Amino acid sequence: MMASTSVTKKKPYLQTILFGALSLASYIVLFTHEEWVTDNFTRGGYYVVYPIVTAFWFSFIHGAFGSNLLSALGLEAKVTKKK
Amino acid sequence: MRIFSALVLTLFILVSASTAVFAGGGGPSKNFTKGVFLEVDKVAGTAVFQASDSDVPETLMLGEDVDAGKISLDQKVMVTLQEKEGGVYASNIEIMFLDLSVSKFITLMVVGLVGGMLSGFIGSGGAFVLTPSMMSLGVPGAIAVASNMCHKFPKALVGTYKRYKYGQVDVKLGLVMAFSAIFGVQVGVTVQKAILNAWGNAGSNLYVSLVFVVVLVVVGGYVFRDAIRLAKHDADDKISPLALKLQQLNIPPMMHFKTAGVRISAWVTLPLGFATGMLAATIAVGGFIGVPGMIYVVGASAMVASATELLIAFVMGTWGSIQWGLSGLIDIRLTLLILSTSLIGVQLGALGTTYVKDYAIKLVMASVMLIVAISRGAKIPGYLGDLGLIAPLGTATASVLDFISFWALVAALGTAGVIITAAMVTGMMKARREEKALATEEV
Repeated sequence: MMASTSVTKKKPYLQTILFGALSLASYIVLFTHEEWVTDNFTRGGYYVVYPIVTAFWFSFIHGAFGSNLLSALGLEAKVTKKK
Repeated sequence: MRIFSALVLTLFILVSASTAVFAGGGGPSKNFTKGVFLEVDKVAGTAVFQASDSDVPETLMLGEDVDAGKISLDQKVMVTLQEKEGGVYASNIEIMFLDLSVSKFITLMVVGLVGGMLSGFIGSGGAFVLTPSMMSLGVPGAIAVASNMCHKFPKALVGTYKRYKYGQVDVKLGLVMAFSAIFGVQVGVTVQKAILNAWGNAGSNLYVSLVFVVVLVVVGGYVFRDAIRLAKHDADDKISPLALKLQQLNIPPMMHFKTAGVRISAWVTLPLGFATGMLAATIAVGGFIGVPGMIYVVGASAMVASATELLIAFVMGTWGSIQWGLSGLIDIRLTLLILSTSLIGVQLGALGTTYVKDYAIKLVMASVMLIVAISRGAKIPGYLGDLGLIAPLGTATASVLDFISFWALVAALGTAGVIITAAMVTGMMKARREEKALATEEV
């Protein structure tokens, strides 16, 4: 166990940048097409798919960015020893 | 006995399900329309309105409270309709999509970050402060609730994933609670509608605030006492005497929850989920009963209960978002602005739990609940005045109470942020010291 904790894990800088860029690009696309988005996302009925799928998309890519960012900053969960 | 018990349980589920169908979903009420005003006739008190779901413009009568001079043309609005004296009037008009200034951007992102941290740490939170914050920025109430709901499930998904990786989520307990909670929501909505019909808006507001204050003070006070007791001894939690008794009730079907390490009758978990849902429909924060319920009634640890609550929030949030989305009320821009920081906050809160003991989670939860109770309590005199039960409040008193109400919410979020950060930093420093000590020992 000790060996695994003393080995410094490589920090995920590349993943942070990749997911960050993807997320930022998605934000830019959405906010530069604000009018189309607000209009079509609030049509109701079947159009409910738009906001739900968008929310899922951001939860994956922006969530992955957040996870990698915290690791890159050295914020990791406490390693507990397995019994 | 076993067959009888299972039959009664099935009946209970069927009755709940049929109530759910009749209640017609937990989404918004149907007395509104969306669209654009094309022309306003100030003299006649009418306006030509193009509804989004119709091809032909119609003429709407404007209610007494609507200022015809303030109606902006060619901007998407939400119109509340009211039937009066044989005709349908537009009783309230709100602009659907507010222009987002830099300060609004920043406000939403800051609230999102701390709300996310709270969520990751105690399993729920954020919603109670996000909706009022959005409304104070000028977002119509229904849009604020809908956009907030749509931000809740992606955040809960990411939080669940993280805490599942830390081995804290009891998936089975979460799913059982979530699905029984959905039925609870339906009944809660029916009760709300009945109260709204009988006593109007002020009566409904008073009911919501009273439930809020009573539940938060009683449950929050209990959790707080427990947290302080544990903190004094820096002890790990023990299973509550009530949960131990209930676990001994051998009424089939029995359910085994592996991660929580509990074997308990479905007769305990299903009504608890149901109550969580009912409360969620009433005060919009089901976690305030769900988490203490899982701790003190089911017998799970605060760590597992708060993690499992995230799964419940995910299921209920997705379901709720679909309901609100079907009515087209989600402003995705608001949702995504909050998500931009809350998806990071929720992971920070989640990893924070790995550095603290159970009582830290209870302490944060209880503090938040008690401060939020003050916020809601400050609203009660106003509603009592509206109902004519006490003399109407003066303008000065009303504005002081509004001030207390809003800032108590901000204080709740701030306090939570400070306790979580402090607990996490202390925990991390302690872990580093231990690691270093171990490393020197090995050398």
